[in-house]
Amino acid sequence: MAEEMKAKLKNYKTAPFDSRFPNQNQTRNCWQNYLDFHRCEKALSAKGDDVSVCQWYRRVYKSLCPISWVTDWDEQWADGTFPGRSELAAPPSPASSVLLPRW
Amino acid sequence: MTHQTHAYHMVNPSPWPLTGALSAFLLTSGMIMWFHFYYTTLLTAGLLASTMTMFQWWRDIVREGTYQGHHTSPVQKGLRYGMILFIISEVFFFAGFFWAFYHSSLAPTPQTGGHWPPTGIFPLNPMEVPLLNTAVLLASGVTITWAHHSLMEANRKESAQALSMTIALGIYFTYLQMSEYSETSFTISDGIYGSTFFMATGFHGLHVIIGTTFLTTCYFRQQLYHFTSSHHFGFEAAAWYWHFVDVVWLFLYISIYWWGS
Repeated sequence: MAEEMKAKLKNYKTAPFDSRFPNQNQTRNCWQNYLDFHRCEKALSAKGDDVSVCQWYRRVYKSLCPISWVTDWDEQWADGTFPGRSELAAPPSPASSVLLPRW
Repeated sequence: MTHQTHAYHMVNPSPWPLTGALSAFLLTSGMIMWFHFYYTTLLTAGLLASTMTMFQWWRDIVREGTYQGHHTSPVQKGLRYGMILFIISEVFFFAGFFWAFYHSSLAPTPQTGGHWPPTGIFPLNPMEVPLLNTAVLLASGVTITWAHHSLMEANRKESAQALSMTIALGIYFTYLQMSEYSETSFTISDGIYGSTFFMATGFHGLHVIIGTTFLTTCYFRQQLYHFTSSHHFGFEAAAWYWHFVDVVWLFLYISIYWWGS
């Protein structure tokens, strides 16, 4: 698996077609790969696995995203103010925590 | 020819359209002066002028209809069309705010974190006070229907009771909504969530207050014997407006409070 990934990375030219994002507006493609890169790093380093396979996502978002977006998001990530959910599973929505008193 | 030979109402010249237009100008320029320069004189003058215009214009309509008998069947028909068209225009007004909400919430951008509600926004629990508000307005729809039927059956006591209950429920809704506004952890300036939430619910709240005022006017007119069991269009117009306000709330509740959480 890691060998396949290393081979793909070596032959990388640009982001391939992703059928999840078939239309002209590729914002979500850029966003999703940025998120996936960080989630991949977080998950694999937590398990102690080789993080280099995550470089695929990094290559894709570097190909797709406007540089200013990446700069802004990297700054937010460093500040801890990045709005995307970086955990793999979305946390429970606040409205469902009915039992939490808010008074 | 000393009298008209048709049933329509040729309204006497009136200053209120002019004062209304002037007050609209004062209101708009007044808001600009307030927003940008914290200067409130123009806005206060505009509010005063528009309130006086509305009071006097509608007072004149009551005089023309109830006291002078100008509201014949075709005239009443025209008033009905007018109220219906006005309410339709209000539907389009709210449609804009719902469009804005759905535009932003159906495809959340990276700025929100790619999901709705956005990161950092903790919406109100739809099963708490918002649900109570829904019950209050639905109940007020029942009481106003009761009031209408009592009015048509010439039951003065019950129509007064039912109308005052409707007004009380309207006031209760406004009170509950105001207390909810003080409970939110977000403000109107908190991103797109805050903007869409408060623009939509805020204008709805304003319409509840307008509707309650309209109903209160009907209550006093009823006490002064203005309505008959077969001719009470002012009351019907207020009832239509009130039902419209209720329906808008239902859409708000389902879209913003429930689905949007």
